[in-house]
Amino acid sequence: MTRPETNSRPEAAFVLLVMQAMFWLIAGISAAPFGAAGEIHMAGLAVLTMLLAIATVLCALGVLWRKRRARALAIALEVVCLFGSAVLWLLPVGFNTGLVSTLVNAALPLAIIVLLRKDQQAFS
Amino acid sequence: MFDIAPDHAIGLYAGLCALPLALFALRVRHVDVTATVSGASVLLAIAGAVHIGLVWTHRDEALTAILFAGNGLLYIALSQLCRWRWWRPVSVALITATLLGYNGYIVLGLDAPDQVAIATDLVELTALGLLLIPTSGVSRWRATRWTALGVAVPLLTMVTMATVWIDDLARPNAQHAHAGAVVQATNEVATPAQSAAAQRLYDETAVAIRPYADWRAAFAAGYRPGPQNTPTTHWMNQHYVDAGYVLDPRHPQGLVYANTKHGPVLIGAMFEMRRIGQFGPDPGGPLTAWHQHTNICFTPFGFEFSLMSPTATCPLGAIDITTPPMLHVWIVNNPGGQFAIDIDPKVVKQIDQA
Repeated sequence: MTRPETNSRPEAAFVLLVMQAMFWLIAGISAAPFGAAGEIHMAGLAVLTMLLAIATVLCALGVLWRKRRARALAIALEVVCLFGSAVLWLLPVGFNTGLVSTLVNAALPLAIIVLLRKDQQAFS
Repeated sequence: MFDIAPDHAIGLYAGLCALPLALFALRVRHVDVTATVSGASVLLAIAGAVHIGLVWTHRDEALTAILFAGNGLLYIALSQLCRWRWWRPVSVALITATLLGYNGYIVLGLDAPDQVAIATDLVELTALGLLLIPTSGVSRWRATRWTALGVAVPLLTMVTMATVWIDDLARPNAQHAHAGAVVQATNEVATPAQSAAAQRLYDETAVAIRPYADWRAAFAAGYRPGPQNTPTTHWMNQHYVDAGYVLDPRHPQGLVYANTKHGPVLIGAMFEMRRIGQFGPDPGGPLTAWHQHTNICFTPFGFEFSLMSPTATCPLGAIDITTPPMLHVWIVNNPGGQFAIDIDPKVVKQIDQA
């Protein structure tokens, strides 16, 4: 019998994915004024980031509905995020290694992977 | 916003200590609850510990200390009451009130947001989301909870982060007078000797870069332009950057040109240090303070910049970077000063129209 604790892991992952989508939405919105001021590429990236935020919400819904493909996509997304953060941490570019950055760019993706790594049989 | 206030550091330590204790408490009590409930319980304990930790350093502010103590104790109590019938509504109400109260504190200027405050906000917002997840099998309130989760969490996240950011931009501290830049710490008022040294630096630089009024001479000397889709462009000399000249008027690492319809017009020079955080010599005291751009989002597409959000995220395709310290010398009449961080856009416009 599955313990109740494992049953709501996708719900917990859903909340974290929604939070992550909000962070990307904020990043997209924050870049928009720079696009409006003439930075054409930044305007494009702002739109892309907002689209990523929407895609992440859709992925979160898929996880909530126990869709196997959504679970795989979410794990892949978080692995990419973790890898990107690790590279930036190692490069001498002055990447922010503060508390919030660590929580958002490392702890959050890691928590999502941990929550989704088990219970594969619960997804269809 | 990207620093930890000295009086908030204790809150961070308290929160970090609370994490293993909260996990241990759950294990010891053998509480068989769902992952969302145990997650919310642990996050409530962390937020509570942070608030309790802040009581001592805020003991001079009676109201704040009382609010921190009450809030922290309630959070910790609620973290242990996950089987209580009213656990969810009371916890949701407390988190919402805390977040809105904190926003009010920031708007009123009673507190300045820092890393501990923002991290605690994120912990509380996540706990709120976990608390609003409907329990499986309970049909009553299901729709209400999903609606609350879909509206309250995104809305509170946006409002809280917008408040934090607007406050940070509107009320920067002395070292962050310019968005995305940290200014070198100096004495407040320039001494006569410092004023003379600043004028000497200005005169020597203005004379040394005069030949580069013709951009072809600058190009021949090794200066290369950055993107030219903005009103001004920095032309950098990589050889001078690599050579490590320090505040040498004959070898400025960069030149700044206004992009006018008549072609590039020289408006200043830029000195740059080699390493992040290594501010250069400051002969003019507050007049010649170096600045370093921190937490800016840089994209290689078009070499463009934006500011990193309070949640430490950059747009897709941009990365968070910090530039080495730099000092500008403006050879045109800049209202902000001869060594200001930026050139006044009106000046650039006037040059363009001339």
